[in-house]
Amino acid sequence: MNFDWALKVSGLGKIHGVPDLRALEDTGPDVGTAKSALTGAIVAAWDVGFEVAPGEALGVIGESGSGKSTVMRCIAGDQTSTTGEVLLRSLDRGRTNVLDLDPSARRRLRVADLSVVYQDPAEGLRLNVTAGGNIAEALTAAGWRHFGRIRDRAAELLERTEVPLSRMDDLVGTFSGGMRQRVQLAKALANEPPVVLLDEPTTGLDASVAAGVLDLIRNLLEETGVAAVVVSHDFAVIEMLTTRCVVMNHGRIVEAGLTDRLLEDPHHPYSQRLVGAARA
Amino acid sequence: MTEHIFSCRGLTKDFVLHTIDGRRVEALRGVDLDILPGEHVALAGSSGAGKSSLLKCIYRTYEPTSGTALLRLRSGEHVDLTRLTDQEMAHLRGRDIGYVSQFLRAEPRRGPLDIVTRAGVSRGMDRSTARDAAVHSLRRLNIDEKLWDVHASVLSGGEKQRINLAAGTISSPQLLLLDEPVSALDPANREAALDLIGDLTTQGVAVLAVFHDIEAMERLASRIVLMRNGRVEMSGDPTMVLDVLTQGATA
Amino acid sequence: MSTSLLRQALGEAVGDDESLFDEPEVNFGLLDEYSKREIRRAILTAVAVPGYQVPFGSREMPVARGWGSGGLQVSLAIVGPDDVVKVIDQGDDEGVNAVNLRRLIVSSTGIPESTTPEDSTLIQTRHRIPEDPLDERHVLVLQVPVPEPLRGVERDMRELARMHAEADYARMWVSLYEDKVRNGVITRTTGYPCLVDGRYVIATTPIPRWDVPRLHQSRFLSLFGAGREKRIYAVPPHTDVEPLTFEDVPFEVEVTPGATCRTCGSSESFLVEVPASRVDGGGHWVCSDSDWCRRRRERRDHPSNGGDS
Repeated sequence: MNFDWALKVSGLGKIHGVPDLRALEDTGPDVGTAKSALTGAIVAAWDVGFEVAPGEALGVIGESGSGKSTVMRCIAGDQTSTTGEVLLRSLDRGRTNVLDLDPSARRRLRVADLSVVYQDPAEGLRLNVTAGGNIAEALTAAGWRHFGRIRDRAAELLERTEVPLSRMDDLVGTFSGGMRQRVQLAKALANEPPVVLLDEPTTGLDASVAAGVLDLIRNLLEETGVAAVVVSHDFAVIEMLTTRCVVMNHGRIVEAGLTDRLLEDPHHPYSQRLVGAARA
Repeated sequence: MTEHIFSCRGLTKDFVLHTIDGRRVEALRGVDLDILPGEHVALAGSSGAGKSSLLKCIYRTYEPTSGTALLRLRSGEHVDLTRLTDQEMAHLRGRDIGYVSQFLRAEPRRGPLDIVTRAGVSRGMDRSTARDAAVHSLRRLNIDEKLWDVHASVLSGGEKQRINLAAGTISSPQLLLLDEPVSALDPANREAALDLIGDLTTQGVAVLAVFHDIEAMERLASRIVLMRNGRVEMSGDPTMVLDVLTQGATA
Repeated sequence: MSTSLLRQALGEAVGDDESLFDEPEVNFGLLDEYSKREIRRAILTAVAVPGYQVPFGSREMPVARGWGSGGLQVSLAIVGPDDVVKVIDQGDDEGVNAVNLRRLIVSSTGIPESTTPEDSTLIQTRHRIPEDPLDERHVLVLQVPVPEPLRGVERDMRELARMHAEADYARMWVSLYEDKVRNGVITRTTGYPCLVDGRYVIATTPIPRWDVPRLHQSRFLSLFGAGREKRIYAVPPHTDVEPLTFEDVPFEVEVTPGATCRTCGSSESFLVEVPASRVDGGGHWVCSDSDWCRRRRERRDHPSNGGDS
């Protein structure tokens, strides 16, 4: 069986401070910290790797400080990594390391190759622009120049993300958190990217609102066939959205496996603690 | 061995509980089992015997500690389920191997028709074929058409269980694993469910099932495997095994 | 105070040194040669990279900032002894500002001035392109208050530089989208954003939409000078200048149906409204380009034309 990945990450690492590899010796899950006493540097992430195929959703679970957000930001380009390789099938058929691109080339990838949905919708949206306008930004960045078609596509996306069309011309700043998240989803999917990163997509939303957004995300992932990476500390989210996942602790991946397997038969001591706490 | 759809040897599962004191719990201690196409094998035994653990090990919800588990795919190829990568296993699930558990997994805001149709689509069916099959199954299992669009979370346990069964059986896998699939059903609905399951074996699906219901076992099983302490204790003709079981209960 | 009174008053203090009362001696074109060189280099860069805002060392000029100091520096850097200068403000040669600027240029160069584009070579303007067709003989120097087309959309200088450098004008498109959604049309009047040579977006401030199509594939050179903001940009001849608009939203110039100039009768020139007032009437339209209007009226009223009205 051959699974052509849409996203492949290998050896991804981020060290804050002196990039001295001796820091690796006294950091990590076995040591219990990400900060090196030897060099004073923080190994936020090290040796992180995974693949995601189209139509698959991969979870990255960890508590705060685990490095999961660092990994996401390094792939997204919001942060520079120290080392590693990130390959996108849509970029030069996966033969160019995204991390080697200059910042403007990385920004261009964010138009139609790689989308990010942030925990705080304000990070992915312009609050002083209308819902339709936010989507128009993504479309015009991709070269759309026909007002009528831009509007139709924006309406279609907002409808798909269950945002009332009557609010299409309202400023996003007037929307509730859940509604803003839906607009962010619509914008992220506007140019049909093959890869989408979701960072704690429902954290901070009220439970009932979160359930609706989660449901929506699940439907969208199924219907669009994107390759998705879902970063979360919440097992319910990971369980609902992903088929495989990796567990991170103090910057390293401690375990990887099928999501249901990880939740019912965790191997690594840290995974067991984490699952046990979640189940409680 | 090639005529079997499924064949496991020495399947073992140990849990090492780091959160306690690293103690080891042995759930399966070496299980051998063969299943032919069209066979309905029922697993019997008291709780803790390892019945559910066996199903989960085959489906890779538990990762077996050792042993092999060969499955013959629709393509004719044989694969060892214990050696597949996560992606390969995820791909097989729902296609060549099906699993129906007692619990409805995280489907709160979809209606039964939607759930079962999507299950079909994810197995590779086109949307309209899946929908037709879903309609057929739901009718067969007596799910009132008025409920087809109602969010599953508000339905009864029995209704959820039947939806689960419909979703799990919408496309015929090579091997179907059933874990207490009718426990919440009243007699009439149970009847319909067992009927559906029975039909699957007629179609050539190999079934490995856990029922606590002796009647169901009697009715469906072509063979009963009695498990105890993580091992197969006895395997054979249903009447014979059940006699042993009931004798053991009264003794 | 008259010169003679001044002389009388200071006569004791300065004695017989009369030179203090003469016009100061200045370099041709007011600017020193080093300044001219720097500004010319900026202009050359601007012409070489159409639409790119070139930073330059904007000097203190004898006009206040915001009154055309940028345009003035461009004009003074390129003016030569064979030039003939026309200066207009709002299309009018006789506006106070235009008069001042023109006097400055003429007095520091000694070149002739004109109100007719046909007879001019250097035309400095705020707010209009003359109605007459211009060609290779002409250089149009426009006074620009705000050179940055993206100013309404972004404040941060580094981000602005990045957007131009990466031709990332998505935020501009969003603002056009929002404008159209909110108002049904794109409402910008002056300073309409245009794409130059398919690469940089410029602010065509200060000219009205009416004049924007004149820039596209023009025969003349246009130089834009912003003194306060210290930028120079250019549209060379035969360069594409496309107003930014959506494919399905045609770029339209200002039109008031039925309006004609009260003075010359024209309906094909850019007209401005004289507001009604109790003092002297008003409530009618006249040509913005006053010289063009005057010449048209003269031609119309000339006896050889039969005095047709």
